[in-house]
Parts: sequence; C-alpha cells; structure tokens
Amino acid sequence: MAHYLVFLEQRGGCISKVSVDAWNRVQQQAAQEGESVSGFVGGPLKPTALGELYGNGTIYHAQDDALSLPSETLLCRILSALVAEEGCTGIVIGATAAGRRLAPYLAETLHASLLGGCAGGSLHSELCRRYIYSGLVLAAYRPEAPIRIFLQGREQPRRSFFSTDRPHCVSFDASPFFVPHENLLIRSVTSGNSRKSIAESAIIVAGGRGMGGKDQFVLLEELASLLGGSVGASRSAVDEGWRPHSDQIGQTGKAVAPDLYIACGISGAVQHLAGLSSARTVVAVNSDPHAPVFDAADYGIVGDVREVIPAFIGAVKEVLQKK
Amino acid sequence: MHIAVCICQVPDLPSAVAVVDGSLDLSRVAWVMNPYDEYALEEALRLKERFPGSAVIALAAAPEAGKELLLKALAMGADRAVEVSSSTLQDSFQTAWVLAEAIGNIYGQELPDLVLCGRESLDLQNASVPAMLAGMLGMPFAGPVTALRADGERLEMEREGDDGLETLEARYPLVISAEKGLNIPRKTGIRQVMEARKKTLEIMQASALPDPLVRFAGAEPVSLKKACRFVETPSELAGLLHRGGFFNTAQE
Repeated sequence: MAHYLVFLEQRGGCISKVSVDAWNRVQQQAAQEGESVSGFVGGPLKPTALGELYGNGTIYHAQDDALSLPSETLLCRILSALVAEEGCTGIVIGATAAGRRLAPYLAETLHASLLGGCAGGSLHSELCRRYIYSGLVLAAYRPEAPIRIFLQGREQPRRSFFSTDRPHCVSFDASPFFVPHENLLIRSVTSGNSRKSIAESAIIVAGGRGMGGKDQFVLLEELASLLGGSVGASRSAVDEGWRPHSDQIGQTGKAVAPDLYIACGISGAVQHLAGLSSARTVVAVNSDPHAPVFDAADYGIVGDVREVIPAFIGAVKEVLQKK
Repeated sequence: MHIAVCICQVPDLPSAVAVVDGSLDLSRVAWVMNPYDEYALEEALRLKERFPGSAVIALAAAPEAGKELLLKALAMGADRAVEVSSSTLQDSFQTAWVLAEAIGNIYGQELPDLVLCGRESLDLQNASVPAMLAGMLGMPFAGPVTALRADGERLEMEREGDDGLETLEARYPLVISAEKGLNIPRKTGIRQVMEARKKTLEIMQASALPDPLVRFAGAEPVSLKKACRFVETPSELAGLLHRGGFFNTAQE
C-alpha cells in the first residue's frame, strides 16, 4: 500500500499553484486506491494558505523563517527523515525551478527512482513515458527502486478535486535539521517579477527574428495583455538581446504547455518546436509560406507580423466587444 | 583552485536520431559538446586565468565519448581531459556515480574546490546528474547559475528562481551547474586544436556499476507535424479562435 509525501512549496506565505495541483491530484488517486497522503511545508504561512488543499492526511508545517528560502541540502535532510519515519514509497514534488533542483538531490539520498515530465499516466503506472531528443522521441522508463519521486508540472486545464474532508495540520520541529554553518545560503530574491511565468501561462504570444527588433515586441505585449497571456521568444530573439533568456522557449529555454501559442516571425527550428510539443493549439504568423513553423501549426497566416499583428489586435477587440 | 568539469556530448541535430523496433538508432548522429557543458568549461577556464596555480580537469563519462569531445576540451584550455570508460550508463544515477568515483580517484581525499557541470544534457534533459553528483561527493549544489563571482574563500552566484533572480552565497567546495547566459564560450582555432593534439587523452576504467534506479524500456518516434489550416485575414483568425473558446481569459 503506497503512502505518499507531497512537498508543498510556498511563496510569500502561500502554497504555490503547482503544489496545490499536485496535492489534490495525489489525494484524488489515493482516495480511489485507499492509500494515504502526508504533506510537508516550511516557512511562515498566511492563515488562508492551506485553504485550497482537500482530502485526508496530515500536513507537517515547520514555521522557521529559514525555511522560506531553504537550500536543497536542508530540505533534503528534513524530507528524507520524514520519508523514513512515515514509510513513504512515493514523493511528489512540483516541477518548479526549486522542485527541479531538490528532486535529484533527494533521489540520490534516498536511492529513489526519479520520474520527471511523465506524459499522462497515473502514479501507479508501470512506466513513465517522457519526451527526449527535443520531443522527437517518446521514451518509456521503468522505475527500479522501491521509493519513487515524481516531479509534476502544472495541469492545463487545472483539475479540480473537491472533498468535504480537510487534511489536519501538525506543527513540525525542524530545529534538529539545521546545521550552524550551512555552506550555501540563498541571500536574496529580487522580486518585482510580477509577470506571469511563461511556463504557467495558458496563452503565449512569442516573437522571433522576424519581429525585426526589440521595439516591435510592444505589439506582442499588447496582444498578450489583451488575451490575458504572456510573451515568449525564440532563441534568435534572445540572442539578439531583444528579450531576456527567461522568456526563451525551446530546447535551450523553457518547455511550455499553453492552450494557445501564437508564433510571430518565428521560422520554426526543430529546437524551438521541441518546446511546443505540449501546446494544444499553435498559430503561426510568418512572411515565408514555406517556414517550417507552419508544419507544426494548426492555423497559419502568411504575412508580415508588423502588419498582421496590429490588424489581429483590432479584430480581437472587435470580437470581444460583440461578446 | 582545483576545478573538475563534467562534459558530455549530444546530437548536433536531434532529427538525426532514429527509432528502430523500439530501440534508439544513433548511427546517423553527428556529436557535439553539450552546449551547457561549454558554459561550465568556459567558466572554469576563466577562474583558472584569474587564480594562478589553478588546474582544470575535464571528465567525460560516456563510453562512446570519442576523442573529439576530449580534444575540444583540451583545445579550449583544460589541463587534462579524462574519459571514464564503463559499460553503457543506464540512468543519471549511474552517470553521477562513475563521475564521483573518477573524481575520487583523481583528487583523492582532497576533493576539488569546484565541480562544474552543464545545467542538463540537451538529449535527455533530466537535469539530474549535477545534484546527484553533489550528493555523492557530500558537497552542496548550486545551480543553474547565470552569474558567478569568486574570491579565494567565497562565491556569489545568481540564478533564475520561480519568483525572480536569486542571489546565493557559498563557500568551497561546491558543485555548480551552468545555465545559458553565464558566459560566451571561447572559439577554438586551428592552433589550439594542434596544441591539443600533442596532449595525452587519458582513459580511466570505472569499477562495477551500481544498479540503475530507472531503466530505459523502449521508445517510439514522434511526429510534430500538424495539418496547418491557412487563414486569409486576421479577422477570420480572431473569429476562429473566439469560437474555439480561447478568448475566455481575455481582459475585456
């Protein structure tokens, strides 16, 4: 009988959305199979922080300030102790930047099978299928260790799980896990990054070399804000210095999974298309009718982005007004 | 400063990878150094230039690594290039294990001050080896970093976190993984390659591997091709997307 531990990541006193999704998804599966679930969260929380978490089980909460910005080593010490004490066989971690650093560190400590980016399937699947080689190959991997660690991305659309049950929260004493001279400290986080991360966006408007310059991205900003989405970029646009690397989509950037992806002036190198394999609907705007991006698109418009996008913004506004 | 850099090679074009009867066929692949490993090696070389008496050793844990990868590392400026030879590595755990063993064999009890890796290999993109290696060596892990400032005792680094830019402070020893943006790797010319050819490529034999934690169980090819419907005007497209329900999150 599996017993799961969900690592609940918090930001600014709230549980991150990817952790909320992971918790509720594990609860739903555990309820069907009669399994149990525990959770761990570190750092001070807002009173309403656990409000979106449903189901049974215990959430261990360590209040220490130092756990708001923990190092992987510290988290690893705490989680491996909890895993041993509770006899957990499955650990679920949200696939955030912090989660991706923690999971392999924990897998090595526990000699656990790390399964990340599995396409579909449940926690009970015998095989994890994931895309490799820029999304051109779907490979199957079999976990060989008794303990498994799952790195889970956000679900699009978010799966809702409602239960009248609520987990109970128990205070956790993390003091035995602190060491006096930690070798690595996270000193500060430059906030102000209030823009929605492209990895979590349902709509992405992305620009490439065909945008012609940094200034033209204003058009994409306008379209993205109109649609409630965010702006991404191809490698060429990032290499030109038009956008920061954090906006880059594709092999050496981020993989995204939006409902709608609008590629503007992007030719569609296989390395870029690799980042789009999970996008539901792809729209391409390019002046070259033979651009490879059209092979990966559901809808295409042949034309100069600097003419098509302003006209499209106008058309969207018109449609929305009729609504 | 003693710096070990872990390097590997990846297909130049992923489209050259084929799947035959559920197995990977890499026979048509042209190999290049993993781009993230180039950032790691470049950063190591810059530290070497700043701190006299430093040595950079490049380690490649890939049975099929080939001479070209090691030669490139030497041409860029590594003092030594070592291929760790083993049977086929099944997963990140085994890869990290042979690297940790090789580092132990080369450096002995005195571990290197820094171990630099790329953020991930572009072929499989597990991004697991650096953190696993750190665990095995008993070192903290910082990565993927986009900036690094070092003095003799401390390191300051930056990385892209979920909420913005994070600043890290660490002491040696440390395992660091390199992100794009950390630096621009140097190009190697004919002269550097000729110099590199005079150096020895070292081969080190790994001992028996531990069991893998994850095992490859087959593959199938994926087609990214979709049937594109070409639309004449922007307003036609807006209408189509509106009917598809894509504008429900729109702000008006």
